Amino acid sequence: MEFYSSLDRDHSGPGQVPPSWRSVISVFSCLVVGCAAILFVLAPFLAGQEKTGSATGDLKFATAAESKNEYARIAKPFFAKHCVACHSPKNSEGDLDLTQLDPDMKESSSGARWAMVVEKLTRGEMPPRDRPRPEAESLAGVVRWAHAEAKRAGKHFSRRAAHVNGNLVSHKVLFDPKNIPPYQGDPRVRRLSPEIYKGFLKDHGNIKGTGQPFSPEGRNTFKDMGAPTIDEPVTAQLLQNALLIAENQTAHKIEGEKIKGIGNVPKEFLALLDPKTPPSDQQIEAAVALQFNTILKRQPTDAEQKRFAGLMKKTIADAGPIHGVRYGLAAVLLLPEAVFRMEVGTGKADEKGRVRLAPREIAFALAYALTDKRPDAKLLTTAATGGLDNDEGVAKEVRRMLDDPKADNPRILRFFQEYFEYPKAVDVFKETTGSVVHLGHDPKVLVEDTDKLVLYLFEQDKEVLRELLTTNKSFVAIKSASTFAQFRKARVDAIAKFEAEKAKNPERYKNRTLQLPGKAIYESYGLKDFPDVQPVELPGDQRAGIMTQPSWLVAFSTTFDNHAIFRGKWVRERLLGNAVPDLPVTVDAQLPDAPEKTLRERMSVTKEEFCWKCHRFMNNTGLPFEQFDGFGRFRTTERVVDPEATAKNVDGKGKSKGPLFRDVAVDTTGSIAHVGDPSLEGDVKNPIEFVKKLAGSERVEQVFVRHAFRYWLGRNETPGDAGSLQAAHKAYRANQGSMKALITALLASESFLYRVPVVTEKK
Amino acid sequence: MLFNRRESLKALGLSAGATFLSPIMSKLQAQASGRPMAPKRFVFVVESNGLPHEQITPAGITPRNYQRATDLLDVSLADKALPFSLEPIQRWKNKVTIVQRLSGRVCPGGHSNNFSALGSFQMVRESQTIAGETIDGALAKHLGGIFPHIGLGISKHLDNNAIYNISAWGPNRGIPTMCKPDQAYRTLFGSIAEGSGQQEFAARNHLLDFMRAEVRTAERTLAGPEREQFGAYLETFETLRNRQSRLNEIRHTLRANGPVVTDKYRSAVETDRLDAQFDLGAAALICGLTNVLTLSSAAGSQDFDITFRGLGLNIDKHSIGHGGSYQGRTWSELSSMIRRYHFDLIAGLMRKLEAVREGNGTMLDNTVILYLSDGAEGHHSRCWEWPMVMIGNMGGRLRTGRYVDYPGHGQRGHRTTANMYVTLLNLAGSQQESFGMADPALRDFDQHGPLSELLA
Repeated sequence: MEFYSSLDRDHSGPGQVPPSWRSVISVFSCLVVGCAAILFVLAPFLAGQEKTGSATGDLKFATAAESKNEYARIAKPFFAKHCVACHSPKNSEGDLDLTQLDPDMKESSSGARWAMVVEKLTRGEMPPRDRPRPEAESLAGVVRWAHAEAKRAGKHFSRRAAHVNGNLVSHKVLFDPKNIPPYQGDPRVRRLSPEIYKGFLKDHGNIKGTGQPFSPEGRNTFKDMGAPTIDEPVTAQLLQNALLIAENQTAHKIEGEKIKGIGNVPKEFLALLDPKTPPSDQQIEAAVALQFNTILKRQPTDAEQKRFAGLMKKTIADAGPIHGVRYGLAAVLLLPEAVFRMEVGTGKADEKGRVRLAPREIAFALAYALTDKRPDAKLLTTAATGGLDNDEGVAKEVRRMLDDPKADNPRILRFFQEYFEYPKAVDVFKETTGSVVHLGHDPKVLVEDTDKLVLYLFEQDKEVLRELLTTNKSFVAIKSASTFAQFRKARVDAIAKFEAEKAKNPERYKNRTLQLPGKAIYESYGLKDFPDVQPVELPGDQRAGIMTQPSWLVAFSTTFDNHAIFRGKWVRERLLGNAVPDLPVTVDAQLPDAPEKTLRERMSVTKEEFCWKCHRFMNNTGLPFEQFDGFGRFRTTERVVDPEATAKNVDGKGKSKGPLFRDVAVDTTGSIAHVGDPSLEGDVKNPIEFVKKLAGSERVEQVFVRHAFRYWLGRNETPGDAGSLQAAHKAYRANQGSMKALITALLASESFLYRVPVVTEKK
Repeated sequence: MLFNRRESLKALGLSAGATFLSPIMSKLQAQASGRPMAPKRFVFVVESNGLPHEQITPAGITPRNYQRATDLLDVSLADKALPFSLEPIQRWKNKVTIVQRLSGRVCPGGHSNNFSALGSFQMVRESQTIAGETIDGALAKHLGGIFPHIGLGISKHLDNNAIYNISAWGPNRGIPTMCKPDQAYRTLFGSIAEGSGQQEFAARNHLLDFMRAEVRTAERTLAGPEREQFGAYLETFETLRNRQSRLNEIRHTLRANGPVVTDKYRSAVETDRLDAQFDLGAAALICGLTNVLTLSSAAGSQDFDITFRGLGLNIDKHSIGHGGSYQGRTWSELSSMIRRYHFDLIAGLMRKLEAVREGNGTMLDNTVILYLSDGAEGHHSRCWEWPMVMIGNMGGRLRTGRYVDYPGHGQRGHRTTANMYVTLLNLAGSQQESFGMADPALRDFDQHGPLSELLA
């Protein structure tokens, strides 16, 4: 629900709303089904409310009576007008009777239901689509009341909107240096990411039978976002993993009378296994301490020591030492601390109401931000010796991790992969023998090349975004570069052999062509051979940046063609920072099957009024990439079926001999509009001009920073993060577009390091 | 896998731990002692991307548009050959009812109706919100069981394990679909089948009790959404702990009849994993782990564009849905081919259930399998109609071997998917008269009650 408040806090009156935005809004407001959510989020914006103050719009209830008055004044009449026809004692649809739902969230358990009501209202899911829309202003009043009452009651509405498109938060609010809203980051716990847990299993020997049970949530911009819950099958696997690891930690054999460890079994654990002598308290204590240190990288507290020793004694007593020790040790692996990322904060709140994460929490958060692994010894030592107690110390440590030449920071490449989405190229099934032939298409190699380009530019660390968007450098089959010489030799042999066969048997070889190894790869880049130097400079009037890399172009293509609409949507969301509503599926979103037309021509069906309301945000920002074919090859003409020639292409009996094609000139024009930044808007002639224009825009850079924030913070940005975002962008600029500076700024930001505690429910 | 359920139940010495018996086990016990009390099982097979009505219409019956269907058509299948995709279950034709023209207009339509497909409730199109219970959840709550409900399925993403797509206990309470067969095996069979007896059983209980206390303590230190996170984790330990004793009671059955884990359980090929899930599901039913099983073949809007590479297809279901052809086969042929593969799996499940004697018949006699698509009648569903294939007669309570084509939406005598779900609930012994949300466009119709035309 933060989104609502974000706009609530937008200080601009209606007169300051850019005209293009207003048209966007009015367009959105016409779409009821898919876009109702956006309409409602934008509602206060539309109404031009000038609100200042806190997230609840100045509304704060000291007493239940105050809240009740506001409820009676604004909420009750609203529900009477819009809701109780269906949600009353007579007709309580969805088991909801709004006349009976207690507006006192503190004294009753109605908070969760109110949260749902607010969610339904703000997303526009209620009232139902066939009912009149409520006035934006009164709706805003109801939501403001509910938030203020929730705050008074110590209930929490936040996060329910976690999956909403992060772009819905007003860009203007986030990047207005004059009005920085107060920071509001909640304490957080999140279960480990699949990668972190996988790494944990690997550290423990990838024992057979262990498995990574977490699923990515799949609804967010980036995979590792949100707060997915743990369900029973997940815990069942965690339990299994814990037991198998503990078994391995105590692997032993009995030789004669003696217990001997197999592999690296610590003596502290072996000491407990003797079936004849029950372990002493000290021995158990030592084993528990060791297990805490191994799994959690810390010593147990006295209370923990006592509890875990108690469990160990109990399990040994009832199950014997071998099983007993195993189950006792496994418990440590199942502690919330071993399964969740804890970012709660400790200590007293400062004058802004914030608490800082504990040094240990910061150490783990930093490690997980960059490495998928738990913090290394250096980081833990820094944490323990006060090195992370201030923001400068954190920044220093981040820099150390980023500059460490030996460090493996997989999370950095992953950010670019998930941001640009080029690895999706491997998921697109391509028809390689249709009207466009491209035998040997190998998307995996294309993705590897772009990976390499990203890392190359990251290492240069100069104007990283601009370079990513405009460089004409490229890697080509980089992973097999060392074998190019062999390829070439094999090719000479293959050609010679082919020609010889052809000479012997000209009739049979008449229509055959030779498929050369690697040809499809270098041809994807418009080259005639593997390059001798990598990265190679491709023609600057043909290629500029990731969006002209074959991997990206294939990732946004279909089996037979380009996908100009998805390309345009990507640009709209990831670079321009606008939100495109989801596809309303009442529309059969299918382009006509008309092989005699170009994709651009077939897309003209989306210009119908209803379609165009959304497609105007996508088509023109995707069509410049028609410069490339569905395999990412530069082209100036494209191939369509020639109906007249095909009609004549018949055998003696009048039976068709198949389609004939003709080449038509490619139209690569496009335009940027409806952004909210006039400096960006206008027509473009081709993709090169297009991406260069984007790369020169401050807004685009800021939108990039927003995405980096989402990735490294694992959540969508809220207005309260404006300070962190602006600082991060400033750091990026001050350091000539240094990605490392940007990451450092994000990881040492207020949003990363501080939490504003929520009032614990009192019952 | 032929074994006598009754014998094996006797061998378990069921009287020993009577307090832990699930309702179904009590019923079986009663049956073993000679009293007639049949168990009831429900299996839902939900395939993504819609089921066009003509694809399950036998030759000799003219497919009709829902707008033209003005009367009830009730035709015996006795002299009809099942269409290509249903051929694998031809031999059980007398147990099959093809049900056409039920509508589900309260559902949002689209590529997938997600939770509303089995829930018959309104939700925003392609959203993941859960407005209420789904029929499998409702049946599970009614029937109980060691696992009241088991959800097995496949996702196009190998990473996915427990996902939420089509099943729910109630509003905002999804039931997970387990998508990794090897991990599902461990969840269902692992703790007992691989364990080593009573000692370990005790240790395991201590551990689970301990974890409950630890997580509960940690939970208390938190507020808001964080608390919910830990709350969910806590709940899993409680469920696991409560189930332990019940599993222990049937440990011999589990060890004897649990599935054999093969390479398919970890395969990257979609069809391998679905094979494994059917294997696992059959074993779970036979061992008495559950009475309600949902098998999800990439159902839900996150997976509907899966590719069945194991069938030699290099074209995904989304492209097929959009009329894509592959190697000379039309979209309809491709989709029939994929469907037939599912009915091969259903036939395999039926054979396994038929091989287990139960009462005077077999387990199959006390099982109803409902096949449908979460995408209703087509790739972009509108839910004017929702073709279904129902298999099994539940101890003779259903009149089967028929093609039942209801009057279309808005026509006199029209019925909805909710009526189908009420039918299932009534079969399970519930008196419930309605399910999900009523279709506001049918407010002049009586939308209550079961599909009486299907009942014997």
